[in-house]
Amino acid sequence: MDDRENYGASMIRMWRVYRTAKQLCFDRGYQMLEEETQIPLAEFANKFMREDGEPDRGRMHFSCQPTEAMLAKYAVPPTAKDPNPPPQIGNIWVEFNADENVGLKQLRDYMQHLVNGSYYNGIMVCAKPMTGMALRLLRGSAGLEEGPKGGVDVFVEQDLLVNITKHDLVPTHILLSRDEKSQLLERYRLKETQLPRIQTSDPVARYLGLRRGQVVKIIRRSETAGRYASYRWAI
Amino acid sequence: MPPKSILKNSAVSTNAPPASSKPVNPRHLETAIHHARILEQRKVVERQVLDSIITLLDFPSTADADPKQPSAADARQFRDFMVPFQPSDYDSLIEERNIADKCGYALCPRPKRKAPSTARKQFVDTAKGVEIVDRKVLEVWCSDDCARRALYVKVQLNEEPAWMRQGGVGDKIELMVENADEHHKALPLRLKREAAPKAPAPKDEDDIAAAWAARDDALADLALERGEKPGRLSKANKDLMTENIKERVVASKPPVAPSLNEGQSHMAIEGHVPKTDAATAEQDEDEDPQDWDKHLPG
Repeated sequence: MDDRENYGASMIRMWRVYRTAKQLCFDRGYQMLEEETQIPLAEFANKFMREDGEPDRGRMHFSCQPTEAMLAKYAVPPTAKDPNPPPQIGNIWVEFNADENVGLKQLRDYMQHLVNGSYYNGIMVCAKPMTGMALRLLRGSAGLEEGPKGGVDVFVEQDLLVNITKHDLVPTHILLSRDEKSQLLERYRLKETQLPRIQTSDPVARYLGLRRGQVVKIIRRSETAGRYASYRWAI
Repeated sequence: MPPKSILKNSAVSTNAPPASSKPVNPRHLETAIHHARILEQRKVVERQVLDSIITLLDFPSTADADPKQPSAADARQFRDFMVPFQPSDYDSLIEERNIADKCGYALCPRPKRKAPSTARKQFVDTAKGVEIVDRKVLEVWCSDDCARRALYVKVQLNEEPAWMRQGGVGDKIELMVENADEHHKALPLRLKREAAPKAPAPKDEDDIAAAWAARDDALADLALERGEKPGRLSKANKDLMTENIKERVVASKPPVAPSLNEGQSHMAIEGHVPKTDAATAEQDEDEDPQDWDKHLPG
């Protein structure tokens, strides 16, 4: 790739972050073309480079809609009280924050924006780690009325430089829907508490946006069996 | 009659809780609930601190407020907010206010000072000569005066987290203000109740009532000393303490050193009497001295 020499380090860095963010949305199941996740550097620079050669984070934001398959995956079984429940997923808003320090103020503005735009959840990519108080607000905000329903995922640019799920040692994680989960529990005659667990703060769990109580299927290569599937309950 | 299945009754699912589960030990339950309450209290305090910081981000309430002479309402609110804070929480408050481009002192409406240049390190003239400091350190306050006032509050904060505090210490924060008199007037008067004047004709019933009242007062004082606020959850768990003290059953006879029965003492080896029947039983088994080669082949 000889065209890398034409761009500054920060430009290349942002390009990689942007690409990983796109791949993340694609892997979570949002509507996105395969080409979008592999945007070439030249095209990225064309779109988002300022005159001084720095990336313009303010213009990089994008939003996605969930695919049919994703809606089905997050569907909630109807109950007598609520015969037609909405799926627990919706549009997502991804924003790249340009500020050097991200604190309570930016986070609350962002949440306000999500609520105003009726987004279900959001991803905020910031240059530096957030302040402690902002993280505390984030932790408490999942069930809160002031934030969006699905909460906000915060990533540091550093974490998105490479797509961790593409690494050789990271096995495939597949999120199970509610139906699939109940079938699994019935098949193995388990209670969900008897499954092995995965933390929601786990890097792959954060990548997939796992919520408490969901189950992922992890498929590993096995020398003896070819493939080996195991399950993890997100806590 | 249909053949009876030998399989397990499929109606009983494995997911059902075991029917013969032991009844919960009430004491364990109490302990678990007690600790859960402490955790809950901690969450409440953390939430409270967070809410205070969010409110203090937009302080003071008027844009032309003077940090030297804050309005009485602002000062009182600020002081009340500061009570559950730890110094680290106060640092976060300053950090958040700086990110919002305000002076770190919550009662000051001015923006923070700008360093002379945008370089990461700055030269500062001090009494000891030129010092090199981070730009961030320079851009915290709007003036040295505000810094002094803010740190005056910080040193009064209690290092101990609010959910573990013993009461009576550090729940009074003083501000460095020039119109202190106004604030004290504005505060609700909290005079200690004078001791009740002695009743002219003491009766027995009055005495009893007074004794109970005194006990209640003492309990309230104790609760205050533990750091409880009226209406909040009590830290003293009465259920975990039992008031009936049971003595252990006293042995009727005084303990004596073990002694052997008479007639056995001559058999004892260091106080132990080997069992004689076991010895004879072994002898019976070993009666054939050639026993060992019976199992050998040939």
